Amino acid sequence: MDRLLLEDADLFRFIAHLVACKTVYAPQRKGADSYVFAPVDDPQAVVLDYPRTLHSIKKYFLPPREELLSFNLRSNAFAAAEVEPVNAIFLGVHSYDLHAVLKLDHNFSQGNAERNYLTRRQGAIFIGVSYRPDRFHFGGSVGIPVADTTGCDLFLHRLDRGHVVEIVSDTGRELLRGLDLPAFTGELPRTADFEQHIYLPQGKLTEVFARGYQSGIWEEVAEKCVGCGTCNLVCPTCYCFNVEDEVDVSLEGGSRQRHWDGCMLREFSQVAGGEVFRNNLAARQRHRVYRKFKYISDQTGEPWCVGCGRCTAYCTAGISIVNIVNRLVQEHDWANAAKL
Amino acid sequence: MAAKPRVGIFDFTGCEGCELNHLNFEEQLLDILEHVDIVEWREAMDERADELDIAFVEGSLSTPDCITRINAIRRKSKILVAVGACAVQGGVNAMKNLQPIEAVREEVYGEDKYLFPTLPALPLSAVVKVDHEIRGCPMTQIEFLKVFTALVMGKRPVETDHAVCVECKLRENECVYDKGMVCLGPVTRGGCAAICPSFGQYCTGCRGLVSDANPAAMEQILVDHGLAAEEARKKLQLFNANQLEGTQS
Repeated sequence: MDRLLLEDADLFRFIAHLVACKTVYAPQRKGADSYVFAPVDDPQAVVLDYPRTLHSIKKYFLPPREELLSFNLRSNAFAAAEVEPVNAIFLGVHSYDLHAVLKLDHNFSQGNAERNYLTRRQGAIFIGVSYRPDRFHFGGSVGIPVADTTGCDLFLHRLDRGHVVEIVSDTGRELLRGLDLPAFTGELPRTADFEQHIYLPQGKLTEVFARGYQSGIWEEVAEKCVGCGTCNLVCPTCYCFNVEDEVDVSLEGGSRQRHWDGCMLREFSQVAGGEVFRNNLAARQRHRVYRKFKYISDQTGEPWCVGCGRCTAYCTAGISIVNIVNRLVQEHDWANAAKL
Repeated sequence: MAAKPRVGIFDFTGCEGCELNHLNFEEQLLDILEHVDIVEWREAMDERADELDIAFVEGSLSTPDCITRINAIRRKSKILVAVGACAVQGGVNAMKNLQPIEAVREEVYGEDKYLFPTLPALPLSAVVKVDHEIRGCPMTQIEFLKVFTALVMGKRPVETDHAVCVECKLRENECVYDKGMVCLGPVTRGGCAAICPSFGQYCTGCRGLVSDANPAAMEQILVDHGLAAEEARKKLQLFNANQLEGTQS
């Protein structure tokens, strides 16, 4: 049987069972109105019905800050940092965040495989959960429906008073051993519709983005944008980083630190000698959006945006990536119509 | 081993909080003193020096005497570091620049105003070449250590030029705006590890604007989140009166 019923009354027992197996990371409340993935100590702190977390689970595989190596200036020696597999259960992951991990897997295994990321990635078990799209989600427009189970081991479909547990992999089946959940024989619940839509599929977007480079939209967006970099830093498929050496004040040694960076930041495109090769916010906005819909997409055939809506939800200036893309689509249509 | 760098610490118009913050390096102070000789520091010693490797200078320039003194310090120092919001941007002192200078002088000194010549409050860089900056009100200690270690190693310090938002995001803080407050983090230079937003405060902008700042868009964000246009302007002017266009008298 591949579908089981998890009543809400059994939810804490289910979570406690998982916690007994492995470290569990799940969404929990942070602050007034936000959620973060955090280690589960208390099953009652887990929130499975949440709009989105501040960061995606990317943070466990590519931490915001990490030490790459430590060095000793006196002995001129260095040692690479020890990296361990995360080896945990991720409970309550939305489909777009899991797709984002799969995209990062691609990015970090292309060319020179990225040892730290790929090491951490080992042993992760994913339990997806369906969600109610809010005014920022647009997974449907980038090929990731709410109840997409790709990459999951188990998937929880939300019902009125519980969840249908869909077994997606053998690992998932193994995880349920000893829980004795009843079979679920009904229809899977219908997921709510997305409120936000990009008006064209990726195939057409290739054409749109071939033309959109010269669009006036970039200058318009730049007038509202403050270049704070939030859109990059909350993006689950952004993976750019900076590396800096930090020397202890003793001057005896230090460490090489890697931290998240983003193409909206001036420092990001500043090179030796002080030159900044994307020297204004319009060029940086364009680059950001092109990284999501053209540059990587031309190689992989998929949008590199997963429709989580974070860049828009957390933009204090109210800049919407969906509106930008739809505007480019509209300009493309007008240009084609003008040719007829 | 080469002689230790000779360091001087100087102050101009300010509250001396940045200077005091040098003494708050409780865990690092002995290491710091291991690497340099402090040869001039009005607040802590009597001696003066004719030549310096590094001058750390706090405060804004706000009198004719300040101009004479900063020129003298510049002449005798190989490296000059501006320390704190007053020295780097003019600081809160620069709010006086938003009003006619005679009115300000009269307000403060009354009928004795002619005894106290005054100038608009200026950052050090308005008068002399500044080699490096340590921002913040008071100066950010983690940035001081970064600049200090680089200088004593003979390296060029890496300047921070991204918004406080970056550092909030690296800490996965809930956005201050989502708590119903407004914040200048989106246009204010990081380097402070977002210390205020991380502890329940909002960013007042003490570290000055990022170099590609879009203050008009920042004002619009503040207005969109409920501030009147004038309040929004004033919030930005608190630490950036000299940097915003059209605000100088």
